[in-house]
Amino acid sequence: MESKIVEFTNLLRKSGVRVSVAEAIDAFTAVDELSFEDRELFKIALRASMIKRGDEIPTYNELFDLFWSGFYDNLREQFGEMAGEMGENGIDLEQLMKQLAEMMSQMDGDMDLGELAKALLTQNLNELENMIREAAEQAGTQRIENMLQVGFFSRRTMEGLGAEGATEELEGLAQRLEDAGLSPEQVAQLRELIGKLMETLRKVVRNFTERELQTQNHDYMEKFRREMLTEKSFYHLTEEEIARMREVVTRLAQRIKNVLSIRRKRLKHGKLDLHQTLRRNMARGGIPFEVIYKQRRKDRPKLVILCDVSSSVANVSRFMLQFMYSLQEAFTKMHSYVFVSELGDVTPLFKERDVNVAIENALDGGDVINVYTRSNFGHAFHDFWKNHLSAIDNRTTVLILGDARNNYNDPKAWCLRDIHNKAKNVVWLNPESPSAWGFGDSVMDRYLPYCDVVEECRNLRQLAKVVDQIVL
Amino acid sequence: MFESVDHVVSQLEKQGYICDKRIGTVVFLANKLGKPVLVEGPAGVGKTELAKVVSAALGRELIRLQCYEGLDEAKALYEWEYSKQLLYTQILKDKVAETIQGATNLRDAAEKIGAEDSVFFSERFIVPRPLMQAITSEEPVLLLIDEVDKSDPEFEAFLLEVLSDFQVTVPEIGTIRAKSQPLVFLTSNDAREMSDALKRRCLHLWIDYPNEELECRILNTKVPGIDERLADEVVTVMHRIRDLDLKKTPSISETLDWARALLALNAGELEDELVNDTLSVILKYEGDVQKAQGELSKLLEKKSAEAAAEKPQPAPAAAAKKGILH
Ligand SMILES: Nc1ncnc2c1ncn2[C@@H]1O[C@H](COP(=O)(O)OP(=O)(O)OP(=O)(O)O)[C@@H](O)[C@H]1O
Ligand SMILES: [Mg+2]
Repeated sequence: MESKIVEFTNLLRKSGVRVSVAEAIDAFTAVDELSFEDRELFKIALRASMIKRGDEIPTYNELFDLFWSGFYDNLREQFGEMAGEMGENGIDLEQLMKQLAEMMSQMDGDMDLGELAKALLTQNLNELENMIREAAEQAGTQRIENMLQVGFFSRRTMEGLGAEGATEELEGLAQRLEDAGLSPEQVAQLRELIGKLMETLRKVVRNFTERELQTQNHDYMEKFRREMLTEKSFYHLTEEEIARMREVVTRLAQRIKNVLSIRRKRLKHGKLDLHQTLRRNMARGGIPFEVIYKQRRKDRPKLVILCDVSSSVANVSRFMLQFMYSLQEAFTKMHSYVFVSELGDVTPLFKERDVNVAIENALDGGDVINVYTRSNFGHAFHDFWKNHLSAIDNRTTVLILGDARNNYNDPKAWCLRDIHNKAKNVVWLNPESPSAWGFGDSVMDRYLPYCDVVEECRNLRQLAKVVDQIVL
Repeated sequence: MFESVDHVVSQLEKQGYICDKRIGTVVFLANKLGKPVLVEGPAGVGKTELAKVVSAALGRELIRLQCYEGLDEAKALYEWEYSKQLLYTQILKDKVAETIQGATNLRDAAEKIGAEDSVFFSERFIVPRPLMQAITSEEPVLLLIDEVDKSDPEFEAFLLEVLSDFQVTVPEIGTIRAKSQPLVFLTSNDAREMSDALKRRCLHLWIDYPNEELECRILNTKVPGIDERLADEVVTVMHRIRDLDLKKTPSISETLDWARALLALNAGELEDELVNDTLSVILKYEGDVQKAQGELSKLLEKKSAEAAAEKPQPAPAAAAKKGILH
């Protein structure tokens, strides 16, 4: 059972559900306390120990059914059906089995029956399940990739099970029983049973192989979906992808936050804060019973964000803003501006509203700028230079997001130069690939000398990497 | 100790808490394996209540740590009782003088007092807060860390340490190990996602709104004296309301409040007017109330139409018993 749980854990992992070793061990111990006969309890126990996030529950349920209950249920169903068919043909299976057992016990012991033949004849489904799983693994069914291979792997599993040998053994048994005086009618029934058993075995093996294919595909689909999402270009996203992506950003941001806060905890003690200490201990005659330390800050940067929100880069801006605002704690101050041509201050938006609402609002120009004009970076930078340059000091990181497609306007690179001179650093994220910079109406090359970091940023993976660099 | 999952379910029911096997299994395992449980779910579905009834069922003392923004280690773990320390120094002034007698210089005197330091920084002067109480209790307790999502991530990191070794270190005294291991329940409303590290240490229980059958049973248990048919109707309506896209979805506590209100008004069944008058008990936002009214009036219209159709003939008992909403 443990190896089966391990296998299941791997399957979960492959589908993108994070399960730690500790959690897998918890699952063993949990299952030990219950009986697996009750699949429902079993399912709850595994879930409680391994699945900790709501969005992983559907995947878990699906995989659980595929992996655990599905196949056994199918076994039961198929063998039940078989008994039903026999009944329709006027054969009382139970009665027949009883008689067989009786005869066999008289025919001293050794029936020369292998494991499979025994399990089939007694319809020991648990045993059969185990045998089929094992044989399928030997056959390499877990490597199945498409529908066309179902037949092949099913046959190999049947071979591995020794189905042919079992058929012969069972027929031999029928022969011997006949010789020992079993009535011809019952011999015929037994032969029919043997045929049906083999047919049912073929069916369930095929079913197992098909399930394996589904499991593998599921895996593949999930992986594909996830990888696609982080690799997918921001340029083409459907509504649904935007919603899913938003969740992923939230999760990534949370992870960075956890790292930050643990680091902050480690750095907790700074120097002695004399002033606070005296004050706190005033009531005790100034005797410093309680010592207060200054909070040591890892100098958290001030952040100024300049975001191009023209439609060509709106999605990049969207996720960058979401990222930065999820990480507000990492900065002492945060100021954000949006532009297409004129510059608009959207900082207040983020104070008043929920981040996601604020972002959608900002992308629409935040009621401060006209988003239906043509991009003009030079104008926007000049605007900033005129009105906000004083807000920048040597602790400020300026984060600029845009494709630098300037519609052949004056780039006014000198404005960026002055910003660069005052700021701690200037980081530019450009969704276009470097090979396009400086060509056509791109003026990226003109701005490059005044940027400390320039990154191509067109998908979530690239974005996360940059964010990491900025905050950690 | 619980003997089995069914035993858990029946023991909790004795405490007035109605739940299914899903909750029962996780509680059973937590108790058996000594693992903390992280209980998540929407507001008012009985997360806090679960911890309370489990403590009652096990006969363990319940120690509750209510989390909030800014909660820090001192408030959760222990604080030095300064005034008491000070008082002692005052009272023991003479003793202090005795101690430093014979000291020839300041350094010497300080050394002598220093040697007695531990007197003042001993457990005597510690005010234990919930976490410390839970750990130092002779009898195993149930520790409820309520609304842990409201605490800061820094505090979560600290909790993690406590939950992994059930011991705390007081610099002046040393390490205090748990005398008995508490059973720990953490609840969260998902105000923020808890860290993976914390989740890994816990069994996870997601409590959702109950299905109709379960909620009826909860209602009958918690609001004794309610007419069964009314209870049915209330629950049916609640489930309809939960299907709507509302700003705040009403929970079990609202179901109970509503049922109590209806009972107080002597209502025998739900009618349009009555529902409109009392909807504010379950819905807190005007927009939500309006949405729900739209949906419910359709429902109630259908009911009165059916009632009118039934009126002429004396309604057969079975039909009368059958609620309108079915
Ligand atoms: N299964 C249940 N059986 C009986 N009563 C219940 C059940 N679930 C909830 N209740 C009742 O519902 C009310 C709300 O429960 P509780 O305060 O535990 O909710 P909660 O999930 O902790 O909510 P919050 O997230 O707001 O803290 C309580 O009065 C409780 O008695
Ligand atoms: Mg609560």
